[in-house]
Amino acid sequence: MKYVQLFFQYAAQYMKTRLTYRTDMVVEIFSDLMSQAVNFVFILLVFGHTTMISGWSREEIIFIYGFFLVPFAIFGAFFNIWDFNDRYIVKGEMDRILTRPIHSLFQIVLERMELESLFGVITGIAVMLYAGSLLDLSMAWYDPFIFVLLVLGGTLVYASIFVLIASISFWSDSPTSIMPMMYNIGNYGRYPVNIYNNVIRFVLTWILPFAFVGVYPAAYFLGREDWYTYAFLTPVVGLVFFTFSIFMWNVGVTKYRGAGN
Amino acid sequence: MENMIEVKELRKEFKSHSSRSGLKGAFRDLLTRNYKVVPAVNDISFSVKRGEMVGYIGENGAGKSTSIKMLTGILTPTSGTVRVNGMDPHKEREQFVRSIGVVFGQRSQLWWDIAVQESFRLLKKVYNVPDDVYNVHMNHVIESLDIGPLLDKPVRKLSLGQRMRCELAAALLHNPPLLFLDEPTIGLDVLVKLKIREFLKEMNAKYNTTVLLTTHDLSDIEALCERVVMLDEGKIIYDGQLSSLRSNWGEGKQIEFQFADTAVTKHSLQPLLAELDAAWTPGNRQNVWIANVLNEEHVISEVIGRVVAAHKITDLKVHEISIEDIIRNIYEEGITNG
Repeated sequence: MKYVQLFFQYAAQYMKTRLTYRTDMVVEIFSDLMSQAVNFVFILLVFGHTTMISGWSREEIIFIYGFFLVPFAIFGAFFNIWDFNDRYIVKGEMDRILTRPIHSLFQIVLERMELESLFGVITGIAVMLYAGSLLDLSMAWYDPFIFVLLVLGGTLVYASIFVLIASISFWSDSPTSIMPMMYNIGNYGRYPVNIYNNVIRFVLTWILPFAFVGVYPAAYFLGREDWYTYAFLTPVVGLVFFTFSIFMWNVGVTKYRGAGN
Repeated sequence: MENMIEVKELRKEFKSHSSRSGLKGAFRDLLTRNYKVVPAVNDISFSVKRGEMVGYIGENGAGKSTSIKMLTGILTPTSGTVRVNGMDPHKEREQFVRSIGVVFGQRSQLWWDIAVQESFRLLKKVYNVPDDVYNVHMNHVIESLDIGPLLDKPVRKLSLGQRMRCELAAALLHNPPLLFLDEPTIGLDVLVKLKIREFLKEMNAKYNTTVLLTTHDLSDIEALCERVVMLDEGKIIYDGQLSSLRSNWGEGKQIEFQFADTAVTKHSLQPLLAELDAAWTPGNRQNVWIANVLNEEHVISEVIGRVVAAHKITDLKVHEISIEDIIRNIYEEGITNG
């Protein structure tokens, strides 16, 4: 409960800081919306040339992509930890974090949030609505709830992988150049996994479960009943991986060596 | 009185790998690495009572920061026990840090972009301080540190002295019984230093706040602390009263003579101190010699009398050995010869 309150305090402060730089904010919102629009057009262009891949129609692939954008946007808004090693370990900011009575990872989430990323949710929903209308998808009353659940699951999957990588910094001094690579691998989750060979498919499902961010949960809304098991595993996989990543983070904190000064 | 800090056999080792030289060495490093285990803090034990103000001193790399970080729960000790305020700082970190305030002089606790009072407001939420307690306590702190006019300015627009005062206020926001200060006066002008010392004394008197202070500025320690703990190479080399440090190692005086005659040498001066317990050392300018003598009336007057009778002098100064000199001597010669 206290953490929820704190979250809103920080979010309010964040908005306030943004509002003090009014022109900056207007420009930023505008450019964010623009880049989302460009994204949207880009998706249509790229997928305009495809028809069917491994049993998926063009509209379905667009839908999956749209779904993927939603958890990805939420992840981007709250888990800006790609520069964790430089910012917190090398510069020693972790010292400050550890002298405050809040879980260290939660503090970093609060400090590094970038609420603008949430615009991606709008794009994602727009893409899904567009593709859904072409596919004549119908919506049951409980679908929005399942949508929220699956999006949260997908966000947790994404977050846990990046938290795990950030935790490596506690053991190794070397800058984690794995981060950009992970962003690339993460992109594979936007496409139907059965277009890849079995090894990659296995990896994307059970090792780096990016498939649970895009194709698996989206399959539910596309009515692909053969994928339902995977779709409903999304929140479970999200929770399991996230719990594991928090555990590794907590172990990592005890290995923190501090920056010399 | 109960102990606020209890440290027993505390040790922290760092594993560092030493790289071999040359390209060939770099390739060998890929396969097998030479690890060296370096103890940064080497089995230290001490305790601090509630309400004490203790100076924690040592050269760079003596293990000060590392041990402070273990006391504040940032680092996990390799071995040994730490009890601070009845808790294990690392194991019960989130609970524990509520009872301490920390100022790292080179690192800011405050948010760079937002007004100071907004930072305070966030910290108030972080520490869950009730409104009434906050108002009474913080109004007092803000007044004593004279930071009222700074509250609506963003931290990045403050000068170093202004920022440090705000940092100190932020560290005391939840009125912790224990305060860790790491180089709180680094780079500050004399007036701000005095204000900060004044304030710390006041807090100590009013709330019986325990303070552990590390600094390179020994005048801070002389002004605030009765007791010092001195570290060297990860070990405690002195733990006791500051005053007894002076009486044990600072018993002498230095008499500095500037001679008019340029031909004065150590050799020609030597006979003057003959049976007296004293010795000459060269001063930092030409023709300046310093006689290190015992702090006894007849020795001092005897030395001055003999020197003035034998040579013409242009200047004469008598110095008490400063704490800084004493500490430098201890580091150079070790505690045993002191």
